[in-house]
This record gives sequence, structure tokens and C-alpha cells, in this order.
Amino acid sequence: MNAFLALWRREVFSLLVSPFVFLLLGFWFLLNGLMFRITLDTQAVQNDLGLLPPYLFGSGLLVWLLLPAFPPLLCIRLFAEEHRVGTLEPLLTAPIRDIAVVLAKYLAACVFFLFFWGGVLLLFFLLAWHDASLDWARIFGGMLGAMLVSFLFLATGIWASSWGGNLVLAAGGGAALNYLLLFVPALFELHEGGIGAVARLAHLPNFLDRGFAAGLIDSYALVYLLGMSLLFLFLTWIRLVSRRWVP
Amino acid sequence: MIRTQKLTKKYGDHLALADLDLEVSPGEILGFLGPNGAGKSTTLRLLSGFLPPTSGSCSIAGLDLTKDSLAARQKTGYLPENFVAPYEMRVKEYLLFRARLKGLGRKEAKASMESIIGRLGLEPRLRQPFSALSKGFRQRVGLADALLADPPALLLDEPFSGLDPLQRQEFREILVRLAGQGKAILFSSHVLPEVEEIATRVQILHLGHSRAVGTMKELQNHLQREASLLLRLQDQSDGEVPLQKGADRFGYRLEVLAPDRFLLHLDHPESRPALFRWVGTQRLDVLEFREVRPDLDQLFRSLVEEVSA
Repeated sequence: MNAFLALWRREVFSLLVSPFVFLLLGFWFLLNGLMFRITLDTQAVQNDLGLLPPYLFGSGLLVWLLLPAFPPLLCIRLFAEEHRVGTLEPLLTAPIRDIAVVLAKYLAACVFFLFFWGGVLLLFFLLAWHDASLDWARIFGGMLGAMLVSFLFLATGIWASSWGGNLVLAAGGGAALNYLLLFVPALFELHEGGIGAVARLAHLPNFLDRGFAAGLIDSYALVYLLGMSLLFLFLTWIRLVSRRWVP
Repeated sequence: MIRTQKLTKKYGDHLALADLDLEVSPGEILGFLGPNGAGKSTTLRLLSGFLPPTSGSCSIAGLDLTKDSLAARQKTGYLPENFVAPYEMRVKEYLLFRARLKGLGRKEAKASMESIIGRLGLEPRLRQPFSALSKGFRQRVGLADALLADPPALLLDEPFSGLDPLQRQEFREILVRLAGQGKAILFSSHVLPEVEEIATRVQILHLGHSRAVGTMKELQNHLQREASLLLRLQDQSDGEVPLQKGADRFGYRLEVLAPDRFLLHLDHPESRPALFRWVGTQRLDVLEFREVRPDLDQLFRSLVEEVSA
């Protein structure tokens, strides 16, 4: 446990002192602020503020454009950067389990991503401060859903980061995978038959739009998002541990 | 303490290491010698648990690296070639982090770090980030890292690379002290004088195969097929003539190094006493007449030439 906590703390610290990460955070806040403003100005939201969370978290550009790209950028330093710089070898020859390395790095990225969402939550508080009547169940539900989707995208990002020392491949691969997770179900959800059914079961914006951002905690979506995150963490672990298996 | 048996590593079709047997006992320094690509770093990476062997086994303190990797790694301090720590971390933070990573509690980690930094002269650099350190201090941080938690076995990959002569000397003294404390040390190098100076035994690796192993003296005796004698005369340029006469009689080949310096390569080392007596009768003003034993550099070259032939 000592080793796990030590690594987790070091990862959080590394993210906190990284100028690149703060640049990323600034860019995220800027784009989110713009998107929040644009969504707020739409006629439907002006008429019913309760539509703001689903518009923002579900059908808005936040999920479709921004969200898949940022987590992999945050994840490149977790393995790919360490691989490139040469600090991965001392880490993986230390007496710590590979699964602990994966989890410590992943949880550090998750904790750091709370800052990303904290800024968005602040915008709702500002709105409430200006006497806007808000549906907090929808806001917190949408926020929870968006966070769970972010954690899934962080898991795919960490997997892409474990592929090697190529930072572009790590960031691009992770982002591409995330866009596939978003767009492929969207492309096939109107199909009839098995493919359409599977696509509807894996359609992330639907989880946000009709579930979390509507103030509903959908247990299926919860299991799907957590399960998929665990799958990519497992793949990351396999990637690391196979180094010791494959002769 | 450190042991490999028939250790083999292949990268695809490329054989990096073949059937390597080695053993390092507590208090011993084994110098692992070989040119680039000989398989030294591969061996150390296998022993550190970073890579799996293709076949054979390797163990630290009786713990097999493939079956009990975590416990074996707890007994090992490893300094990789071109050691790098995260650039943004200060030396103190990094060493405390590594000590915690090795399972030490907060107080133990601090005590372990403090006991090491004094020995390695790292106190003045503790507050500096790794990026601000010179190569020599970076290596010291790497060695300090390897020593944290007091592991009984040390694996050091090219520990002297990038160090200036003074730092090299200090580093050598540190390793000798550590061996004196009972640590088993395996270090690789292609800088022969360093190996010669501190290694209690030497293992020579070439193209993935172990070519020789033993103490310097054993290697010298093993490889010395002819005795070479150096003869130095005082201000005498006509010494070559009488020495040529003795060549047939004693079966040596005369090599003229300078008008007053000769090397006699004896095919039959047992004829040395008679040769010494004979030289005494030749009215030569002898300043020096002694046997020249090959140094590690010569041994290494002869081994490589032997393999190439």
C-alpha cells in the first residue's frame, strides 16, 4: 500500500507541476466557457433552464468534440512520456506490482480530471448566484455521467499511453479510440437487428442525454461505463505485464 | 546471491544472450565486461526483472525472477544504463518517493535516504531538481536509488559512464566500500581499467556468450600461452645482436620496442630461469628484466580475436 500511495501522490504531483497540463486545463475552461455561453443563449434553454444540463452534457459539443480529446492528452505523460524519457525502467523494476502502477497512475489522472469538471460546475454556481432557477438533480446527474465518461476516456488514454514512447501515437490513438466509442454506436443505432441493438446499448451520449443529465442514475449505463473503464485498465495491465511474460 | 543458469535471451531471431552461467557471492564485485552488443545490459535487465528470459533461470538471493519477481526485486538495487529520474522532481523528493516505492514507511524511508546521501555526497544537491544536476550527480542519485532499502544485491549497468576521472575514482571507492559491507555487486562496463581495478572477479561476454570468467590472475594464467619478458638496457643500442643469438637457443621471438627496450616472447615459459642466467652472462647493462603479464585490455583483445578467428 505504501508503494501504491507513493506512486499515486507522485503522479498527482507531476500533473500539478506540469505546464502542459495547465495549458490543457486553461484551454478546456476557455472552450467550456464558450460552449456554456452558446448553450445558454439558445432559445430552448432560455425558455427552460432545465434543458441546460442535457444540452451541455448530452447532445452538446462538449461530449462530441471536446471530451474524447482531452483525457488522452492528459494521459500521455503517464506511460508514453516515461517510456520516452527513460524513467519507466526504474519504475517497473521497483518492487511494486504492475497492477498497482496502472491503478495509481489512472486514479491520479481521475482525481486531476475532477479539476476539469470543477470549473464547469463553477459556471452553474455562478448562474445560481445570479438568481437563476436550476434543476440541481439534472446538473449533478449530468456531471456524474460526464465524469464517468471522462474516466472511461482516461482508461482508453492510459491504454494508448502504454503502447510505447511515441507521444503523438499515445494522444492520437487514445483520442481516435474515444471518437470511435462515441461515433460508431451513433452511426449504427438506427440499424435494425443485432447491430442496431448493440449500438444503442453502447451509445454514450444517450446515457448522458436521457439518463444522467435527466437526473436519472441508470444502472445499466453505470455498469457499462465502469465495466468498459475496467476493460481498458485490464488491457493496460496486460500490456505492462506481458513484458515479463513474453520471452 | 546473484545467480543465472543457462540464461538465454532472444529478440526475435537475434540471440542476445546464450546459456549464461554466472554467480556473485556476498562481498564480491563481478565485473561484467564486453563490447557494445555483447549482452551485458540484457543480462542486467533480465536480472532486474524488467525482461523475461527466453530460457534458463536467474535468481537474486535464491528468489527466481520469473516465479517470484516482486520478492526478488525487493532484494535488488538496480542502476540502469543512462539512469534518468523525473526531471521535475527534486533529489530529496525523488529519493523519498523511491524509498516509499520500495515499501519503506515514512520514517524508515527518511532514515534510509539520510544514511545514503552522506555516503554519496549528495547533501548539497538535495533541493535541486534532477534536471539541474550534472551527469556525475545524476549517476549518484541513481546509485542512491539502488541503495535505498539496503538491498543485498546491486546490479549496476555502466555505472561509470559519463563520469569525470575524479568522479570515477570516488565511485570506485564507494563500490569497494559497499562490497566490504557484504553486498553482492554485478556491474557492467566496457572501460577495462575500471573493471581491473575494483572487480574481485571478471566475466567476459562477447556476442552473447560468456568467453571467460575468473579473477584477473586466473584469466591471465589461463590466457597466457607465452611468457613475455621486458628487457631494458642502459644507453645501449647494440643489445639486439646478442639477444638475437639467444632466440634460437631459448625459443623466443624478439620484439624491438626501442634501441634499448626489447620484448622477448617465450614459447616455453619454463626456460625462463635459464634465460635469466644467460642474459647475466652477456655483458649487457640491464636496467630492468621482468615478466610482463597481459592486462585486461590485452586479455580482452586476445579473446575477441580468438572468437573472430
